[in-house]
Amino acid sequence: MKLLIVEDQPKTGQYLRQGLSEAGFTTELAADGITGQHLALTGDYSLLILDVMLPGRDGWQILHAVRSAGLDMPVLFLTARDAVEDRVHGLELGADDYLVKPFAFSELLARVRSLLRRGNSTPQDTCLQLADLRLDLIRRRVERNGQRIDLTAKEFALLELLLRRQGEVLPKSLIASQVWDMNFDSDTNVIEVAIRRLRLKVDDPYEDKLIHTVRGMGYVLEERAH
Amino acid sequence: MRTLSLSSRLALLFAGCTAVVSLLAGVLFGRASEVHFMELDQQLMNSRLAVLRSTLQGIDTLEGFTRQLPALRQDLSHQPDLAVRVRGPDGQLWFDSTTRLPTELPTTPGLASLQIDGTHYRVLNPVPDTFNGPQLTVLMDITHHQHFLQRMQHLIWMTVGLSALATALLGAWAARSGLRPLRRMSVIAASVSADSLNARLPQARMPAELADLAKAFNAMLERLDTSFQRLSAFSADIAHELRTPLSNLLTHTQVTLTRPRGIDEYREALHSNLEELQWMAQLVNDMLYLAKADHGLLTPRRELLDVGGEVDALLEFYALLAEDAQIELGRTGYGQVAGDRSMLRRALSNLLDNALRHTPAGGTIAVRLEPTAHSLLITIENTGPGIPAQQMPLLFDRFYRADPARREGSSEHAGLGLAITQSIIRAHGGHIGCESWDGLTRFVIALPFSA
Repeated sequence: MKLLIVEDQPKTGQYLRQGLSEAGFTTELAADGITGQHLALTGDYSLLILDVMLPGRDGWQILHAVRSAGLDMPVLFLTARDAVEDRVHGLELGADDYLVKPFAFSELLARVRSLLRRGNSTPQDTCLQLADLRLDLIRRRVERNGQRIDLTAKEFALLELLLRRQGEVLPKSLIASQVWDMNFDSDTNVIEVAIRRLRLKVDDPYEDKLIHTVRGMGYVLEERAH
Repeated sequence: MRTLSLSSRLALLFAGCTAVVSLLAGVLFGRASEVHFMELDQQLMNSRLAVLRSTLQGIDTLEGFTRQLPALRQDLSHQPDLAVRVRGPDGQLWFDSTTRLPTELPTTPGLASLQIDGTHYRVLNPVPDTFNGPQLTVLMDITHHQHFLQRMQHLIWMTVGLSALATALLGAWAARSGLRPLRRMSVIAASVSADSLNARLPQARMPAELADLAKAFNAMLERLDTSFQRLSAFSADIAHELRTPLSNLLTHTQVTLTRPRGIDEYREALHSNLEELQWMAQLVNDMLYLAKADHGLLTPRRELLDVGGEVDALLEFYALLAEDAQIELGRTGYGQVAGDRSMLRRALSNLLDNALRHTPAGGTIAVRLEPTAHSLLITIENTGPGIPAQQMPLLFDRFYRADPARREGSSEHAGLGLAITQSIIRAHGGHIGCESWDGLTRFVIALPFSA
């Protein structure tokens, strides 16, 4: 998975690159619009992350050039301006997603993964599994270590999300958006309570904990060594 | 080009009016005197004519006239201002009393005027009648009348000029003193600056014409004062709100870097910084949102929304929190509006969030939807201690918190929630209010069905 980041602010660019590399992506960084467009058109990237305001050519122009060249990799925009016109403009030109600075890196990572997943749609799983935790999508049943666990509809949806994206840190905003369809910046602790409840049923009775809190970033479902 | 000052303009207008009025009066008076003189002249000349005619009665030949000429001369010698031309019945010139008479004289019957060598004459030709004798044309020197009229005209012009000048001066003075309240107004207006927005015009002491202006001016000052105070409070609050997390970040980072530490300590420091930074990012985003609203850039989409469904979704979202806090959530009523789904969700969630924080265990939060003629009323009601009356007007102010001691670095709202809610409702053309008494707090939103 090779990603291109076009970002003129050196610090932001470096941190994005480092973060994405450590998350397992191969990344290249361009610091201005002209280099960025050249790389985007010639390199074989799975995804572009474009800043809107760039020296040389702005993000819109690069996007236009990319789409005109018939390339259809997902494009994620970063912008400091939360203007509706920008959003509409971007979507018209064929951008796939949009993040307003300041954003949380975990949010960016989650969006990048969503976009990349969208491209290669795997056949729908009927059963999700991690360690001894099984979630049966058809019968809507959850078992751990062979024991049936009763979950409410929202708890089921939350666990399904965590299982589908196991190993990824999911920010609270993403969970709120995916499970409850709440897309505003909610800083309530609804998600904390929901996770706590889920843990009570899924983790607490068992030795190996699967749901982990990543402080300040979100939650992740994974097996961890003791 | 600069327009004339009001005082000069008024003075000039006054002067102009006086000039026109006195000029008219002068012209009328002049004309009247002239008519009067003409009548006098006519009477005089008629009587002279009668005398001359009596002398020339019955004469119809030049010989006869020549005989009567001494008598005529006798008559004329008594009247030095009089001249006469005598013509025979066939129009032939018989006699001129003075050689200065031009050959052509007006012959139409009645009075006429004539100027010969700088001397003004009145000319009288008698109306044709039964008089049997030569044709007489009588001329009378009226120079003295003309002199009188000329003097009078000079007098009129002088009066016009002087009275215009006098009214201009008096008018200027009157205008200046009449406009004194305006000057007072401008002095106060000039003294208004950011530091002295509390100056007000003495409305009661203003003349009726200016009272409205003064009122409008005072109202403008009032609004400026209020928004300026809010703005400066807002800036001060921003600085204050950012200062706390910033100083935490600075101190913590510096202390952490003073000496080598274990990996866990570094991680802990970064986590702590992250929390502060996230709080600041949230604050900045909220403030930008409000700034957008202030500039009218918050333009809601208009899609038909089932508000009941939206409220249910929100209540479902908050259900876990409510359950944890042993609070009962419920909705009654239905309603639809054209609005922006995510914006309204945000507005309502702020209110619910707020209600959840202020409702004690065992309380209830009830959402009621109630369509009226033009708008949908959304009432969010929670049990619990009421909001003190003195805090009510400040409730929707930015950074306002009922309890100032709360939050330092907590993940709670920086007190922008209700301000954001209000902005969203206003952007939809609706309004929000709050009522509260002991045991119950109620927020009421009126959302128009269409903008």
